[in-house]
Amino acid sequence: MNGEVTRILSAIEDGNRQAASQLLPLVYDELRRLAASKMSQEKSDQTLQPTALVHEAFLRLVGGEDRKNWDGRGHFFAAAAEAMRRILIDAARRRSAEKRGGKLQRCELLEEDAVLNVDDTETMLSLDEALTKLAATDASLAKLVELRYFTGLTIEETAEVLGVSPRTTKRNWAYARAWLRREMDDSE
Amino acid sequence: MQSEKTLFLDALDEEDPVVRQRLVELACRDDDELRQRVEALLAAHVLPANPLDRPVGMNSVAGRAIASAAESFRPTQHIGMTIGSYRLMEQIGEGGFGLVFVAQQEQPVRRKVALKIIKPGTDSKEVIARFEAERQAVAMMDHPNIAQVFDAGVTEDGRPYFVMELVRGVPITEFADSHLLDVRGRLELFTHVCSAVQHAHQKGVIHRDLKPSNVMVTLHDDKAVVKVIDFGVAKAIGQSLTDTTIYTRFFSMIGTPLYMSPEQAEMNGLDVDTRSDVYSLGVMLYELLTGATPFDRERLDSANFDELRRIIRDEEPLRPSARLTTLGAQMTTVVRTRRTSQDRLATSIRGDLDWIVMKALDKDRTRRYESASAMSQDVLRFLNDQPIEARPPSRVYQLVKLARRNRVAIGTALLIALTMMVGTLASLWQMSIAITERNQKVIALEEATEARQEIEQFADKITQANLLIASGQSHADSGRWQSANEDYARAVRMQPSYFLPWMQRAQLFIRLKLWNEAADDFRIALDLGAPTDSPQWAGVSALLLWTGEAQAYRNLASKNAARVMQTDSPFAWDALRGLVIAPDTHQTITAQQCVERADGWLRQLDTPLGKPRNDDPRRPRRPDGTDGTGGPPRHDVLGFRELGDSLPIPVCQYITAIAHLRAGDYPIAIELLEDAGSDDRWPFFELVYAPLAMAHHQAGNPDDALAALELSYLALESVARELINQPNVVQDSPWFDFVETLVLNREAAILIHGHAPRPLVELETLRQQSLEKLALEEM
Repeated sequence: MNGEVTRILSAIEDGNRQAASQLLPLVYDELRRLAASKMSQEKSDQTLQPTALVHEAFLRLVGGEDRKNWDGRGHFFAAAAEAMRRILIDAARRRSAEKRGGKLQRCELLEEDAVLNVDDTETMLSLDEALTKLAATDASLAKLVELRYFTGLTIEETAEVLGVSPRTTKRNWAYARAWLRREMDDSE
Repeated sequence: MQSEKTLFLDALDEEDPVVRQRLVELACRDDDELRQRVEALLAAHVLPANPLDRPVGMNSVAGRAIASAAESFRPTQHIGMTIGSYRLMEQIGEGGFGLVFVAQQEQPVRRKVALKIIKPGTDSKEVIARFEAERQAVAMMDHPNIAQVFDAGVTEDGRPYFVMELVRGVPITEFADSHLLDVRGRLELFTHVCSAVQHAHQKGVIHRDLKPSNVMVTLHDDKAVVKVIDFGVAKAIGQSLTDTTIYTRFFSMIGTPLYMSPEQAEMNGLDVDTRSDVYSLGVMLYELLTGATPFDRERLDSANFDELRRIIRDEEPLRPSARLTTLGAQMTTVVRTRRTSQDRLATSIRGDLDWIVMKALDKDRTRRYESASAMSQDVLRFLNDQPIEARPPSRVYQLVKLARRNRVAIGTALLIALTMMVGTLASLWQMSIAITERNQKVIALEEATEARQEIEQFADKITQANLLIASGQSHADSGRWQSANEDYARAVRMQPSYFLPWMQRAQLFIRLKLWNEAADDFRIALDLGAPTDSPQWAGVSALLLWTGEAQAYRNLASKNAARVMQTDSPFAWDALRGLVIAPDTHQTITAQQCVERADGWLRQLDTPLGKPRNDDPRRPRRPDGTDGTGGPPRHDVLGFRELGDSLPIPVCQYITAIAHLRAGDYPIAIELLEDAGSDDRWPFFELVYAPLAMAHHQAGNPDDALAALELSYLALESVARELINQPNVVQDSPWFDFVETLVLNREAAILIHGHAPRPLVELETLRQQSLEKLALEEM
């Protein structure tokens, strides 16, 4: 598994675009597996930080301390951000469906629904929709938002992953943030 | 857009709200809309509680939601789940696109279907919208080689799914290899794929993702039946391929670019038409013949994106026959699974098949076959030793082809031509010595030219007859019976001394249940020397008996007897079946010999599932004396063990039973028939009643005999009604099961009651119905 992801990252470095599509499912599965094992090991009130999860996935799949400054990192985080987005949006969709009288067997889950409540779920879904529209007009802005929102990277970290200056990242973030808010409010 | 962004950021730099307002107004003097958009952005910027300021965290609930997402992706979790009106029962597949299940549908019809759930990551709404756009066309498709797509929807957790006809089979390449199909067998199977694709194209549906795993083959009795699955699905999943990221995602979704045409590999996905499917058919034929795809799987997998496009777009693949030489160690398997040698395989592919495949694989689609049926026709031409279209025509080539088809005829023609020339010369000599040598040459040349023209006309006729057959077939497939009948009739008129048109027309009459007409054509084909070991001839014995073609039956029977007595072919159940169906003994084979053959073959088969017969001397045993329970057996479409050339076990038991009946071993016949009849996976188990009635009668159980005879009659009645009411439904059992029951039922009635059974009125209705179909369009 380890070697697989490293191999794909090198391939992406070499300009093999198809490799990018192979990376996503691996990262996706690893993140899900990781989250699942965390949930079963630790206390139920444990809060998982997406950032921690993604970093751990990186260590597990790529490993190596001296790879900190390696360029492949950016590709990995980009894939991880997209994977996190899908995981969370899929989870939100499922919850939203359950809330509307879906399956009984998962009701237990709803009762503990303290933090990620239905409003949050709806917000996340409408954000996702707005983000898809943003991607259609400016894919790099959408990427930036994925990294910030779904994996909780800081402006500096995001800038590093995207390979642009923190100042540009900050300005782009301000614009994307307002753009998405305008879009979400419009569609309400 | 850019100016909106720049303006917004410039405005943000200005902290004084009044200056900021002025700045925007100034910049948007004559663009009201831009001003509104930027103002909305600035307002949104300062709005409190922007959800984006709280990067999503995963508390226990979200975490568990993710965990449960991981859980629900495990196949076991799906079983028993209900999606729409479908209950998932078992997982049967997993691919780049998602998971496939067998599901039970309850409403509006109770049936088992295949349900394909697409992986998360596609936009469900868009997938469904695209499917809806094509649903009408998809629903119009009605072809025995196309698995129907019934329905599409979205699961509760937002994944799109497709519901389609359940096909339990193996990919065509796998099937051909595991059944050791030779080149001819593979080509024949391939023409069925073409016919399915052609049908879809006529209905305006392009597949877009034709590859072996979408072309399944199942065994129906001992016939291989092709089913093309996923029509309409690739289009729904595939995005408009203009965006690279989406495009690569599509790649990972369809699994492999190996079968993709150059124009699909181009990024303008709008420009895909039926000829893209023709290309994919070409790749598939390439693989069926050589065991390899035109481009190496490993190479395409490791190529980067641009390289990949370049290969598919620009690189000319090796001809199939040349590709064989690059296979190395793999060659042994390729040769073995095609039951040939390396040299023979290369020779049979080199030339025509190379041309056919390479024409389909042309980078320029205008130079490919214009349709799947054009390609199929060329393959059929090759099979009949006729000149193919793909090859640049040369006179020599056409004459070589003609000579191969008609070795004897040509020999004779040349001899006659020669005699004529000699005769002409001699008589001219005698008539007048004044005629100069030059004149003689001129006349001889004219004669020769005439002879050649005749030969060319003959070649033309064959080509035209084949075109007519193909056209008749496609008319019949679409239910245009009158046009089909006309085409076949013209083909028969054009080539009255060639058996194939007759056999093809017989198939049309079979489909229409016009037994007498079919029997006539089969009789003529038989007289013209048609080989009778192909699947089309299964059941013809019963047909000839039923329609009173006694002489034709005897001709066929002697061929069947030869096949049964041949020692090197393991099974010839259908030939044996054709023999034992008639009460009279045959000249070339005795009833006892039939019994010995049947018992011998039956012993070579495994014990039927769940039915050990320990005390039975005929208990099937392997040649090595074990009962063969060692390895896991393979099962065919009906759940019967796969037996290579054999039929499902109950059918074999049934045939063996009749052999015993003919030989006078009534108790054994009864036991075998009861055994066979109790196997509920056999769709037409009612076949056993008539022979059972005869066996009981002979064994002195008159009550049992009468009861069985009545059951047999009732079964006939109900099947006949079904045929009348639903003429277009494909029956579970082959057509000849019905005819064979008619024959045996009649024999049993005469034996027991002393006269033929009461006539089945439904037969006449059925016949009138079909005659009307043929006549209606005439007006």
